[in-house]
Amino acid sequence: MSTETGTTTASGSPSSSINLESIRAIAKKDFQDSFRSWVFWGLSIFFFTLLVASTGIISYFEGDLIAAEGATTVVLIDQVRGLTQLVIPLIALILGWKSVAGERESGSIKILLSLPHSRTDVLIGKLIGRSAVLAVSLTVGFALAAVVVAALIGSFDVGDYLGLLVVSILYGVAYTSLAIAASSMTRSTTIAGAAIFGIFVLFYIIWDTIVTAIYLLMIFDYLPDNETMAQVVLFFQSLDPGTAYATVLSLATSVAEMDDQTVAALEAMFDTVPFYLTDWFALVVLLFWIVVPMAIAIIRFDRTDL
Amino acid sequence: MPAITVDSLTKSYGQTLALSELSFEVQEGEVFGFLGPNGAGKSTTINLLLDFIRPTAGHVEVLGMDAQTHSRDIRARTGVLPEGVEPYDRLTAREHLEFAIESKNTRDDPEALLKRVGLLDAIDTKAGGYSKGMSQRLMLAMALVGEPDLLILDEPSTGLDPNGAREMRRIVTQENERGATVFFSSHIMEQVEAVCDRVGILRDGEMVAIDSVEGLRDSVTDGESLRITVDRIEDDALHAVRSLPDVSDAVVEGENPPRIVVQVDGSKTAVLGELEERGIEVEDFSTTEASLDDVFQSYTADREVTAR
Repeated sequence: MSTETGTTTASGSPSSSINLESIRAIAKKDFQDSFRSWVFWGLSIFFFTLLVASTGIISYFEGDLIAAEGATTVVLIDQVRGLTQLVIPLIALILGWKSVAGERESGSIKILLSLPHSRTDVLIGKLIGRSAVLAVSLTVGFALAAVVVAALIGSFDVGDYLGLLVVSILYGVAYTSLAIAASSMTRSTTIAGAAIFGIFVLFYIIWDTIVTAIYLLMIFDYLPDNETMAQVVLFFQSLDPGTAYATVLSLATSVAEMDDQTVAALEAMFDTVPFYLTDWFALVVLLFWIVVPMAIAIIRFDRTDL
Repeated sequence: MPAITVDSLTKSYGQTLALSELSFEVQEGEVFGFLGPNGAGKSTTINLLLDFIRPTAGHVEVLGMDAQTHSRDIRARTGVLPEGVEPYDRLTAREHLEFAIESKNTRDDPEALLKRVGLLDAIDTKAGGYSKGMSQRLMLAMALVGEPDLLILDEPSTGLDPNGAREMRRIVTQENERGATVFFSSHIMEQVEAVCDRVGILRDGEMVAIDSVEGLRDSVTDGESLRITVDRIEDDALHAVRSLPDVSDAVVEGENPPRIVVQVDGSKTAVLGELEERGIEVEDFSTTEASLDDVFQSYTADREVTAR
């Protein structure tokens, strides 16, 4: 046994170590498990419908107009983005909800951890497995819809379409990471559900409310209405994964996040566009939301009694 | 080298003490029965061996390695049948085994393993439809992947019918003959009696007895139980039997038919003679060696009677 490659890699390693073979095995099992459920195909059909319906609406109401300008894919992406920005987090959060808490509740986590996997392997494997479910269903939905989209709108920009897909997957992975982190903190799927709902409320309601509240306080002079304060608010706003998603889309596609007027206004205010409003910073924000929740979860999960 | 060394192991959950200064060793190559009523701390101990939970105090070594710092290496050489775990609903038996084989990086054949546990018929059926016994067989097959040096089986007979339990014991024996150490927990003495070299009895988080099967038997009762069916029972006769020199106890076991059980270490004829002398007719009698189950009962039910 000790001559096998897997055991050699693992030998002498502490229990929190990472083993790529282990992660692969767990991710594969997790994907297989989800793939069989109605969730996967339901999601694929959902994304397909989302794209086809959006395209249908565009081509019905404003097809000729936009086609004349040769930017149909851009309009489509802009419209689809409005929906995916709200829907992908919901799907990712629900997909990740029971990922770890469910296995702890039913005890099946003991099957995983009776085998030579570390707890860190389990969390990373789960992130990859669940993200793969989201990514593959998005890809299937997008691929099937591509045919219809291309038929409905004359000019079809494959690059932009792929850009939307890739950035949407990245956005989904960020929320999957948040969901798995929440799921790993507890043995109860009910408490995990409450935490997941908390994440949803945080990014859908509280984040925007804080931004609006600070703006109002500035307008009514409870907070100093100066450049620093404005910078703080804009910086805070840019940390929202949804905002980052919209911004990164403009990096990956030909959709402009800010129109020329906004850029001009920002430049007038801050001389240049602040770094945290750039596309690259938004990409860093998305990566932050993938890495940081997982890192915290890994540290906590490694110390806990299952 | 011991396969398992548990040293002054304590585990508490807040105010609740699950294990208290537990110490024992399991020798390499033996079949060790870990016995105790539900809630005695058996699963807690197993969870500590596998690093599912962390000790409050004390030290655990498995296969010569620290259970916490070398858990992965330990589990690479250990096969585990966890207690009361449901398999993954949407995966088939074959997929479960493929997962275990990939995880342990071995070249086992899922079909051969499932044949061994008697689940070959259901190899491509999703585990969601399995009965408790089938799930248990699947879990056992997963534990056998990679010819482990140590098998940790937590209540392996759960959900198995008598035939299944016998097959399970046969596999335990086969694995032991191959060279594996087997650590086998149960709350039923009968399950461990047949296969175990040594038995440890756990009660309220403490090891109250640890010995070979014969040793345990001897520790509780000297002699035999004499079961006598009579035509009627009289208190006077019972007292007279109790006061016989070789008799340690005599109790009424049933009224219909009237039956008494006498613990006797010596002449059985003296007991029967005493009864006849008092006009009580002996209709039938049988003798039994103290069963291990009696031993288990005496350790776990009324410890105050039993010498520690």
